[in-house]
Amino acid sequence: MRALLATIRNAFAEVLANPRSLIAQMTVMIVNDVAWVLFWLLFFHRVGAIRGWRSDDVLLLFAIITSSAGITLGVFANARAVGPLAAGGELDAVLALPVHPLAVLLVRRVEAVHLGDLAFGLVLFAVAGSPTPARIAVFVGTVLASAVLLTGFIVLIGSSAFLVGRSEAGELGFNAVIMLGSYPVDVFAGAIKVTLYTVVPAAFVSSVPARLVQHFQPGWALALVGAAVGFAGAGALAFTRGLRRYTSGAVWIQA
Amino acid sequence: MRRRWPATVVRTAVQRVLAERGGLVVTLVFYVLVASVLSSLWRLSAAANGGSVAGYGAAALTWYVATTEACTVSLNIRLIADIGRDIGSGALAVELLRPVSVLGVRVAAELGRVLPRLALCLATGAVLASLVGGAPPRPAALVWVLPSALVAVTANVVAQHAFAGAAFWLRDAGSAWFLYSKFTFVLGGMLIPLQVLPGWLHGVASALPFSAMAYAPGRFASGHIEPWLLVQQLGWLAALTVGASAVFAAGERRLQVVGG
Repeated sequence: MRALLATIRNAFAEVLANPRSLIAQMTVMIVNDVAWVLFWLLFFHRVGAIRGWRSDDVLLLFAIITSSAGITLGVFANARAVGPLAAGGELDAVLALPVHPLAVLLVRRVEAVHLGDLAFGLVLFAVAGSPTPARIAVFVGTVLASAVLLTGFIVLIGSSAFLVGRSEAGELGFNAVIMLGSYPVDVFAGAIKVTLYTVVPAAFVSSVPARLVQHFQPGWALALVGAAVGFAGAGALAFTRGLRRYTSGAVWIQA
Repeated sequence: MRRRWPATVVRTAVQRVLAERGGLVVTLVFYVLVASVLSSLWRLSAAANGGSVAGYGAAALTWYVATTEACTVSLNIRLIADIGRDIGSGALAVELLRPVSVLGVRVAAELGRVLPRLALCLATGAVLASLVGGAPPRPAALVWVLPSALVAVTANVVAQHAFAGAAFWLRDAGSAWFLYSKFTFVLGGMLIPLQVLPGWLHGVASALPFSAMAYAPGRFASGHIEPWLLVQQLGWLAALTVGASAVFAAGERRLQVVGG
């Protein structure tokens, strides 16, 4: 555990070593997120409500997905790199350490630009999420669960590269879950909606947490925790099993 | 040979993309996903607003989104970052050794990569839009979609080179592609028809080159025959080409002085 904490400290120290770059990259991402908020405001200004979702509900959803994606892609930045690293045989450096390779891989690199997502999500919730102590507690809990789920899912699909030797499927799955999670799940119907609660769990990444913050229901909270634990476990298992098929590319420094 | 190099570069890039079928499949799956989600959102909006939004019916919105997404998804979204990295690392300096324009070769190669993806996405989009949104609102307008889409992606590729040229001075185009893509998404009309924007923002968006990169082909596909849109696109393409050429010419001079 001490080794992992030291690795996290190093990763953050690396990002903080260039504060001007950190601020610039975070600002770019915040402006990017503002553009999405602008889109939703323009959309709802013209359209009104869609299947019970109004602009404040969608802003809350957006605060949740930017916060959880900020944690996954910012703090656990290598989650997204599992596929390319596995396909390229670039995991040698983490295999020689006395800690679990996936754990050290996840905390080894911090992506400054996505810390902007995290900052934006928190500010958006503070501004548009009607924060009360109870809502803040649910927001924090659901964002953490969403981040665990998202990390697990990305590692799971990224680990498919151990089997097929290519990382495109992982990148596609990542883009799909982020993109689908950016919209209210009730926009979809039928088989697609079922998919969003199961195979590509975008509903649990954003819509379910947003509903829980608006109207807390223990059943849905349990379902979210269950999905988070399930995908995290599946991701860890897929990575560990995948390592048995790993072929080194004799690249020592990439991971 | 010298005069034929653009066609050779485009053809080689097309062949590379066609040989890499996995990449094409990923692009196509992602396109279907995005187009399905957005068209679903807009059809729901039309249904919730008496059948149309800003003059666009459900079918028109579906064809609009299918086309604007095809023009955007077929591009390398991180092209600005890639060009910036090549400039910043000095890799571009090697290209100066060729007896042809660096910008020309890069744009031709990128267009070669884009064209097969664009063709695939437009064809798939037409099938998708017919299935989920119904027949095209005005079939005759579809004749305008192909030339408009070609100019749209070309203008986009050229504009990204002009934008990324900042790396000649800043040494890094970094995350600028995030900002650029959002200009295309909102002000370019990829996500939202410009008529849906408030009046003042519609005016601003119409006056910017981004509308030539998504809105124009989408407008044609949604059944509006407005030939002046294509003229406007060509005007923007010419202006962007002049701008990108000037940026690269100045940047290359600087690169030769400073070194890569």
